[in-house]
Amino acid sequence: MLKSVIGAVVALGLGALPVLADYPEKEIQGIIQWGAGGSTDTVARAITPHAEAALGGNIVMQNVTGGVGAIGLNQVADAEADGYSILFGAENPLLYKVMKLGDKDYSDFVAINIIARGVPILVANVDAPFDTFPEMVEYVNANPRAVKFGSTGPGGLPSVVTAMINSKTPLDVTFVPYDGDGPALTALQGGAIDVMPAVLGAAIEGIKGGTMKPLALFDIEASPQLPDVPTIVSTNPEFEEMLPWGPFFGVFVKQGTPDDVVTKLTAAYAEAAKNPDFEALIDGRGFKMLSLSGAEADTFLSEWQATTSWLIHDAGLTKASPEEFGIAKP
Amino acid sequence: MDVLQSLLIPIIDLKLLGLIALGTFAGIYVGAIPGLSVTMAVSILISFTFSWEVYPALALMIGIYMGGVYGGSRTAILLNIPGAPAAIATALDGYPLAQKGLAGEAIGIVTVVSFIGGFIGILALALFAPLLADFAIRFQPRDYMLLAVLGILLVGSLSGDSLVKGIFAGALGIGLGSVGMDPLTYTERFTFGTDALRSGVSFVAVMIGMFGISEGLMQLHTVNTAAVKQKIGRIIPSWPLVRKHLPLGLQTSSIGTVIGALPGTGGDIAALIAYDHATRVTRNPEVPFGKGAIEGLVAPETANNAAVGGAFIPMLTLGIPGDAVTAIMIGALFIHGLNPGPMLMVEQPDMFWFIVSALGLANVFMLIFGLTGIKMFVKIVEMPRAMLLPVILLLSIVGAYAVSNSLADVYWMLGFGVFGYFLKLYGYPLGPVILGVILSRLLDDNWRRAIISDQESLWMLLKGTLASPLSLVLFVSVVLIFVSKTPLWGMIFRKKAG
Amino acid sequence: MQTTQPRRPGELVFTIIMVLGSLFLLWSAYGISGFEALSAPGAIPMVTAATMAICALMILRDTLRRSPVTGEKLERDILPMPVVVTIVMITAYALLLKPLGFVPTSFIFLTVMIRYLARCTFARAVLLSVVIVAVIYLVFRVVFTVLMPAGIVPEAEIIAWVSGLFAGEGN
Repeated sequence: MLKSVIGAVVALGLGALPVLADYPEKEIQGIIQWGAGGSTDTVARAITPHAEAALGGNIVMQNVTGGVGAIGLNQVADAEADGYSILFGAENPLLYKVMKLGDKDYSDFVAINIIARGVPILVANVDAPFDTFPEMVEYVNANPRAVKFGSTGPGGLPSVVTAMINSKTPLDVTFVPYDGDGPALTALQGGAIDVMPAVLGAAIEGIKGGTMKPLALFDIEASPQLPDVPTIVSTNPEFEEMLPWGPFFGVFVKQGTPDDVVTKLTAAYAEAAKNPDFEALIDGRGFKMLSLSGAEADTFLSEWQATTSWLIHDAGLTKASPEEFGIAKP
Repeated sequence: MDVLQSLLIPIIDLKLLGLIALGTFAGIYVGAIPGLSVTMAVSILISFTFSWEVYPALALMIGIYMGGVYGGSRTAILLNIPGAPAAIATALDGYPLAQKGLAGEAIGIVTVVSFIGGFIGILALALFAPLLADFAIRFQPRDYMLLAVLGILLVGSLSGDSLVKGIFAGALGIGLGSVGMDPLTYTERFTFGTDALRSGVSFVAVMIGMFGISEGLMQLHTVNTAAVKQKIGRIIPSWPLVRKHLPLGLQTSSIGTVIGALPGTGGDIAALIAYDHATRVTRNPEVPFGKGAIEGLVAPETANNAAVGGAFIPMLTLGIPGDAVTAIMIGALFIHGLNPGPMLMVEQPDMFWFIVSALGLANVFMLIFGLTGIKMFVKIVEMPRAMLLPVILLLSIVGAYAVSNSLADVYWMLGFGVFGYFLKLYGYPLGPVILGVILSRLLDDNWRRAIISDQESLWMLLKGTLASPLSLVLFVSVVLIFVSKTPLWGMIFRKKAG
Repeated sequence: MQTTQPRRPGELVFTIIMVLGSLFLLWSAYGISGFEALSAPGAIPMVTAATMAICALMILRDTLRRSPVTGEKLERDILPMPVVVTIVMITAYALLLKPLGFVPTSFIFLTVMIRYLARCTFARAVLLSVVIVAVIYLVFRVVFTVLMPAGIVPEAEIIAWVSGLFAGEGN
């Protein structure tokens, strides 16, 4: 009772203050759509303290997982568009519509910052009887179904990279499903699977330590962290038209958030992305810094959505055609 | 000498020592309160310690981790609400002891054996980390599947009077664990087309409902009878008592270390497998299991604390998390500019020894803090039930909400509370339900991986199992335990026939 | 062993619900992927639902054989008044949490429950509730920053205001 009285008194006091000029006037809730310890989580938690400093506010981070990230996304989409709920998301929502995982994607949000992009890499168990991508193709063709590829759910990085490979050189392999590239890479090191398409950041330390073997980097240029790993383009130039491609992380607020709030958040995160410590983290983990916002971010998102939706649609992985949602074929 | 130097870092630096102590103390409460988890606390600490050096940040996290795993036993014993999934097995025998007025003694023995378990885990980490990590990552999907089956056979010991009801409850749990969008294929299972069920049923909400709420509703029947008077006896267990249970404790500590080191299994599964082990190797417990057997406290509590050291084994040697908490710590190391991976031990061996040392200190602090203030805790049980029950209910609601800030979880908790209440009234054991939920994913995911890897052929799966020494050992254990429990089956069926 | 125990009130109905529920789950599990493959996402759910159904039928057969218990009543031994009131109160709590907010809802819940169960004076119930809610609020909201629904109390603003006082002018 007493508490509510105090509350009412303070509320009256606060009501007298100008509201918008003071954003943020309370804690901001930051929803991370993937679990604690994952790439999205690490990047979100690493950039946010720098953004808090630039913003002069407090962002309370929380992991809301499940439904391939849709639960967290919907939670922000259902909250008020006041800038007090922000979403830390990865690329998955752009495929929700075609995968029938949800009816919302980033077109319902304003991109504050598309922080960084990951680079896909094909890694193999150290004892696998092949060392390069062409050797792998040869071995797979000689031994149909014998090679075990790790996979995660349809629409995830492994499925997209596999779709890319299949669109050029169809492979007859067995897919063993995992619930993320972390567990799959562990299984790769233990020999439960032979090959895994993963994001460089998750595999980089294993490659450096010799517990897994890189086959090919799915990018146009070699990675500065692993200059000796050949790119797929160097052995199979036919892949160039689909690259560069990669998963990404970004910060988003709901569509309809006041402009000055968007401006403040955008400035804060752009500032944070320039922090040397954060840049070192992004480089060290083999990501490519983007730090896109505004129109640049929108173009990036729509191009990404078009390329990937059609790629996995042509691979027969989607539940609805991208055309239904007005996603034009690139 | 570098090793010694690194080991000494947290001991001679008073600030680090203080942080470990503070973390352990806070961890005990984080662990004890349902809804607050170590995973959550460590995540929050990442932001909180962002600008710190890496050693102090780790010191605090390690303290919370050690204390939290132990703290779950407090509420399990006192209120029959496990503070964390790893303490579920502890409630099975701990709560009956509290009902006999022996809560203090139960907490005392749990504290001491947790210390022993923690110590064994740390010792294994310090001495055999590379060896154990190498062993752990060789576990194939079929081995994980066999491990899950081994765990499920525990239904036999948890069933109490009716095995059929126990199997029903266990199957229900496995079914509950598979509700939602299947993380491997994104297929919807048991969602009935509703959005609310897509993310699955929150396991902690089920746990709080089935244990906390249903127990609370049960106690309303006798709300006005006086609370159990607690005997203020000896709290620190006597040496003969500890010695008597030491052989079992060492076995279950080893089980806990190995299961902790396996990527994908943690303290909760370690505690259940250890409990199962105890029910089999204990020939004549003084008190039957489930009614307050000391062995039923020793096994899970040594195992879940040993699993802490175990979980660091793959993390520090390979950069592979042993459980959810070590996964977050890997993220924390990245944020602090380190690169946990196979090279960490080569490039920064001081980090390894620092963690070993910090864990050891946290373990000692856990023993000290655990043994002090027990009398005050025990008083909770002596509070009038009519006052205590509303508080427990409120704490359960808040705990269920806090897991993922979701009102839906509160409804789940209530729903399972009421359901669990009816199950209890009509003689169904609740332990197997929780067991099923915990093991559901381990069983289901790895069954599918195993059978896919063997080209959908049961014959090839069997052949593969018999050809691998590890799988063979697990398979033989499963068969032996199953057969050893068949007399029970025989009894039931004979009764039916007659 | 359990055959010797008599049947409790409502037990038969509960068992029948369990049988029907298990059969429904079995049907639902079949709908996931049918008999597509051993590795199908519906394989384990079908096995578990079938196990539940078989066990439930065995329990039903057993329950039917037992004689009803004498001297127990549904409203006294299965669903006594305090149990019903508690279930209703928790439901009300969940319903009011969003619109009213954490602090007032918890306070009302505790006061009513303590007053109802302990039959102590109103003042004592209020006092206890205030203390307990304050402690829970401190632990969950302030220390662990669990964002409870604020409802009618602008608590986030209050916290920001209070921490602003400590932080001084800046921020």
